[in-house]
Amino acid sequence: MGIDKTTALYETFKSKLQVLSGECFRVNTAKEAGELVCKVMKEKGINNVALLNSAISLKGEFVNQISQAGITVYTDHFREVTPEAHAGITQVDYAIAEFGTLIQARNDASVDDRLCSTLIPIHIALVSTATMMPTLAEAMTTIHQLPQIPGFVGFITGPSRTSDIERVLTVGVHGPKQLIVIFVDEQVEGVA
Amino acid sequence: MDKDFKTKISKALGDDVLRGALGRFGDAYTLARAKAYEGYDFDALSENIVQVKSYAANHIDEMMDQFEKAATARGAKVYRAATAADAKKYVSDLVKKKGIKRIVKSKSMVSEEILLNDDLIADGIDVQETDLGEWIVQLAGQHPSHMVLPAIHMTKEEVATTFSGHLKRVEQPVIAELVKTARVELRKKFLEAEMGISGANIAVAETGTLMMLTNEGNGRLTNTLPPTQVFLVGMEKFVRKFEDAQHIIQALPKSATGQLITSYVTMITGPTPAYYADGTVKDKDFHIVIIDNGRRKMFNDEKFKKTFQCVRCASCLNVCPAFQLLGGHVYGHIYTGGIGTILTNFVNSERDAKNPQNLCLQCGKCSEVCPGKLDIPQMILELRNRMGEKDGIGAAPKFALDVVSNRRLFHSMLRVASLAQLPFSKGQPVIRHLPMFLSGLTEKKSLPTVAKVPFRDVIKKVKQEVKKPKGKVALYAGCLIDFVYPKIGEGIIAGLNEKGYEVIFPDGQSCCGAPATYMGDRKNARKCAVMNIEAMEAEKVDYVVSGCPTCTHALIDSFKELVQDDPTLLARAEELSRKSRDFSKLLFDLGGLPAGGDGVPMKITYHDSCHLKRSMGVFAEPRKILTDTAGVELIEMKESDRCCGFAGSYSIKFPEISGPILDRKMKNIEETGADFVVVDCPGCLMQIGGGLDKKNPKIKVIHTAELLLQKRKKAKMNKK
Ligand code: SF4
Repeated sequence: MGIDKTTALYETFKSKLQVLSGECFRVNTAKEAGELVCKVMKEKGINNVALLNSAISLKGEFVNQISQAGITVYTDHFREVTPEAHAGITQVDYAIAEFGTLIQARNDASVDDRLCSTLIPIHIALVSTATMMPTLAEAMTTIHQLPQIPGFVGFITGPSRTSDIERVLTVGVHGPKQLIVIFVDEQVEGVA
Repeated sequence: MDKDFKTKISKALGDDVLRGALGRFGDAYTLARAKAYEGYDFDALSENIVQVKSYAANHIDEMMDQFEKAATARGAKVYRAATAADAKKYVSDLVKKKGIKRIVKSKSMVSEEILLNDDLIADGIDVQETDLGEWIVQLAGQHPSHMVLPAIHMTKEEVATTFSGHLKRVEQPVIAELVKTARVELRKKFLEAEMGISGANIAVAETGTLMMLTNEGNGRLTNTLPPTQVFLVGMEKFVRKFEDAQHIIQALPKSATGQLITSYVTMITGPTPAYYADGTVKDKDFHIVIIDNGRRKMFNDEKFKKTFQCVRCASCLNVCPAFQLLGGHVYGHIYTGGIGTILTNFVNSERDAKNPQNLCLQCGKCSEVCPGKLDIPQMILELRNRMGEKDGIGAAPKFALDVVSNRRLFHSMLRVASLAQLPFSKGQPVIRHLPMFLSGLTEKKSLPTVAKVPFRDVIKKVKQEVKKPKGKVALYAGCLIDFVYPKIGEGIIAGLNEKGYEVIFPDGQSCCGAPATYMGDRKNARKCAVMNIEAMEAEKVDYVVSGCPTCTHALIDSFKELVQDDPTLLARAEELSRKSRDFSKLLFDLGGLPAGGDGVPMKITYHDSCHLKRSMGVFAEPRKILTDTAGVELIEMKESDRCCGFAGSYSIKFPEISGPILDRKMKNIEETGADFVVVDCPGCLMQIGGGLDKKNPKIKVIHTAELLLQKRKKAKMNKK
């Protein structure tokens, strides 16, 4: 993908997400992503986080960075920690610019991936910029062409929301109240 | 229609809270939907939905076999339930076998349909709805009133009271706080649940994938936490290919809530890992129950097959004038609104659909927004006809319709009525029960009297000046123009004469049969069709013109259908159909009138008749003709194509619903500041005229043909 096209897609994604009160950033390297995560968490007063390690977080030495920032970081026992943790960090597999959508499509359908992105009030999602697709149509084809459709494919578009009482929009119901998306340009090899 | 039903209606209408909520939502919804579709081609999208869904409908067994094979290969257990009882038994046996005590559910309309909760609760199981709206309704001991917004009929105060009663502590009526309470309370339930039950929006045959579109995150939690999982899937959810699902993922959120996409789309293929009570992570025990419960019968019925294309977005309810006033509960069962009535007919019983089918105005607004391209009013009419054929339509209406389909009797009665000069509100019982325009119940509007000289006599005296004769047009007047508004007929003659056409009036014509059609009396409707096909002799003219879109719709569409069984008549009906036009459409097709008009300033607004706009797609034509007339200034009203509430006999059957619908039309008219409302339908003319008479007699209502007659006749006189 050319630089211009990537930037255009990123801008679309960002504007769609912001309408839904999601926060969106883009950094060059995994290391910078870690720094940004620390900064954001400090600003939000988060003092513990469930981190499901991924290619980006490993490369960016998130565990070190976050601990050094004085924030407790949990990297296992997620069934116990996620109901109480202040935030969760996961890496997602794709993004769709059309709606500002993230896609979780791990071939192991990891339950920890879902816990760290659903039970916590603030979800910080890492995504490799190169996985951005323009449209839903492309995303559907991409998923279908995987060797096997993962047991769990989750599209996430903004924080959870409801309008069930008097049609008044309230952000944050059963899922996260805040969604922070960080695009990382550096290509990081390895498991998501 | 029984008394209880009427009582329910008046209760709903008396509920200000409900009406306020529904009204606000209706307005906001229309805007949100339009915005969500910006940059998307709605027609193309819905065409895609029609394609993928109709394919699945035509291959339903293949779909199910494929799905079962694919899902089983991935480790799912698939069960096909023929009835609600079968489905419930399967779930309940599973619960018992596994000793399950706690269940969380994310939204599933089909589980409401089969009343699954009742059975589980009777077995002592703790079952929690987790969708906020569903949870509220569950705690309040009610049923959802809307497919997408189950608790739209409740205020925050009522929700607070419901929560307080349940939690035994005082909850404030602050929406953000109430949502927080739900999060906290239900979080506990999620974490301790042993089984999750969810519905699906889409089932993909080739991959065995189930998809659900949700916003609150409860769907994700239900699919993540409990180690045993059950999906309840209605038979209509299938699509063939994985990519086919994208059209529904595109359209459903936009149509349902005006979102580009829901916060979450979850796709599940086979069991996924979960934490078990002992802390180990293993694949879930994963069950899929495919539910028929009357669906197959519905899809096998040619007239109702298209219900398979319904994606349950509820946009048809959101735009329905009756639903907007009444909300969902009057419909009596789980599925509400027009589409709900049809579903109820098949998944519950015909008897259950009998009352609610009456609520359809036949305005067609729903079909305009339906992403599955369902013709809901047509299907409701089919139900009505079948019910009429089976149980009769009641003695009084039957007698009235028998009269109407007997030309001589009907016309002589009308003449007698005109001589007596009785306002029909005080007429005799026979006349009171004549459908449509002859009835009383004039709370919100005054009714016109029958004209002294019917149009069929007027036309004999009209001198037709045709300069360069081009051909002949047969005028089909219909009851209202013939006997109540003959002036409209004069206007039609004048306009067509000017275009070079002589207008003839075939004497044998009579009522178009619409009253019978819309009351479910197919026999009398057919009689009317035959009478008119024969009378109009379309073979002998260039066009057949009508100034009433309801009649035109009958000429173009209904007659053909009614005489399908008779090839000779059908051929004639087809010829009639091809040649028939509504007045403004014909005038427009003939190139409109040359510049003219008296030039006197006249501020008008235009009301679109339901039939003209939606059955015939005519709306630009009359506007062009009107504004081409010197002096005429058109100011568009809000919701110009929203039904005026007349809807034939509807305004007689349900004056209490028709009245408020008319009120809204009045308000929209008044807001324009126009002095005239122009219409192309004498039914609308009567309804709106009656309303204005009572509320704002300064504003006048006039038919396009009559306006042209006035403005152009004057022009000619001026020239002299
Ligand atoms: S009938 Fe059409 S508009 Fe109504 S719920 Fe179904 S898809 Fe939506």
